[in-house]
Amino acid sequence: MKSTKTGLLAFSSLLCGGLVVSVLAMASNDNLDTQILAEGLDHPWSMAFISDSEMLVTEASGTLRRVSNGVLDPQPVAGVPEVLFRSQGGLSEVRIDPNFLDNQRIYLSFPAPDDEQPELNRLHVISARLEGNTLVDQQTIFQSHPPRKTAAHYGARLGFLADGTLLITSGDGFNYREKAQALDNHFGKILRFNTDGSVPQDNPFVNTPGALPEIWSYGHRNPQGLVITNDGKVYQHEHGPKGGDELNLIQPGNNYGWPAITYGIDYSGAMISPFTEQPGMEQPLKYWVPSIAPAGMTLYSGEMFPEWQGSLFIAALVPGDVRRIEIDDNLVVTEEILLSEFGRIRNIIAAPDGSLILATDGKEGKLIRVTAKQ
Amino acid sequence: MIRQIQAFLISLLIATFLLVTHTTATNLVWLSSIGMPVDLAVSVSALVTDLAGMNSRGEFPAFGLIFVGLLIAFITARIISIWSSLKKPYLYALAGGAAMLAIVILMPLAFYHLDIIAGARTLAGKVYLTCAGVVAGYYFGSHPQPGDSNEKH
Repeated sequence: MKSTKTGLLAFSSLLCGGLVVSVLAMASNDNLDTQILAEGLDHPWSMAFISDSEMLVTEASGTLRRVSNGVLDPQPVAGVPEVLFRSQGGLSEVRIDPNFLDNQRIYLSFPAPDDEQPELNRLHVISARLEGNTLVDQQTIFQSHPPRKTAAHYGARLGFLADGTLLITSGDGFNYREKAQALDNHFGKILRFNTDGSVPQDNPFVNTPGALPEIWSYGHRNPQGLVITNDGKVYQHEHGPKGGDELNLIQPGNNYGWPAITYGIDYSGAMISPFTEQPGMEQPLKYWVPSIAPAGMTLYSGEMFPEWQGSLFIAALVPGDVRRIEIDDNLVVTEEILLSEFGRIRNIIAAPDGSLILATDGKEGKLIRVTAKQ
Repeated sequence: MIRQIQAFLISLLIATFLLVTHTTATNLVWLSSIGMPVDLAVSVSALVTDLAGMNSRGEFPAFGLIFVGLLIAFITARIISIWSSLKKPYLYALAGGAAMLAIVILMPLAFYHLDIIAGARTLAGKVYLTCAGVVAGYYFGSHPQPGDSNEKH
């Protein structure tokens, strides 16, 4: 970014974890204006624009809110199912249908107690029609299998491929990490469904005995960032343990290694695996040691910051900033740190006008609009 | 008193060593089961890494956690021994086992059911680590305690 004063921390990839020679730069925000759009949100998690001036926001505590023309509607959207709000669990992603203007359908992800064993829970994905300020005509698309006792590592991001199929990220549940390498369960997977909940017949494991046919890729930990580009590339990021957060380019059928290979260690200080690479397991485009806790990602294609077009923006919970990532020929060539004054950043999206919208984490979460300084 | 401290430290080392080796072995056995190239050199290196890592790089040092657990358990056992007729090695073995059991049961309760000690995620792992506490406690109880007469040992 030419106009940005760049104080180079100048770590090479060998030092800071990128697999290619990239430069980590601490940028000043001299050319950015920030404005608080809304505050007092209870653990905001995901945002989605439903028009040029209206946005939906999930609060992990279980409510779906609407922001219209920059004003938070005090009345939550009605009809949101009961969710499990505990530990890392709660109402998570909101994503609008690619044909939203025609069908008004939105998609939500959340954990909820299991029907038969309420001490256990599952990740759910539903679709519903937004009629006025109410969700109607709800349809369950996905319930994770098997249920889990932990309330952590759900993943829970959603994204649409160009063919209209839906990708769902499903985390490893923390206690079940080894299951990310097995194809008979939903732990540590990216899944692909049709929007009616059926499985596309061109999924990579449809004909693999013992494998769940909805699995699209596996070997993931807690994938909370998902971006699908116009040319069909699927970028995903996932939380590592203590170190080892990853940015990956996802290909169907591939194994991304967790926990057989990892650049992180366990919270106890123990090694999870002595291996960082293995034939048949994919390497990340970039990894972070120490962790930045990547929690959400967007691809920028707006007009407000033309120099940022094509960049990925990652919301980082730790230490709390935004990472702008430039990728060239499947290599990360630039990482720039922005907006480090707001604390933990839970998510980031690009608005139709080209501004960026941040959600800060926590009980008193805020929505912050980032625009170019006039 | 010095011999008691020495015995306590050795029992602490025993429990810590057994916990760390169990964690390492649990990981390596699984890695081997999915075809990862786990050989002797990898195993030794992993064990050394874990012995250092679990006592220095984690959110809590393993020996510190076990130190607190055994200290509370052994003091409690010492008080109980005043009126208990149970032989001291067995009494302290029970105390050591209770300390480790408490660690593996209580820690997940404090962390939303997340098992921070990976080796303790399974029932077998919890039983093993409880046994590690039993061994450490038995070692400690097998050494003379204050007030013991020479005839007792």
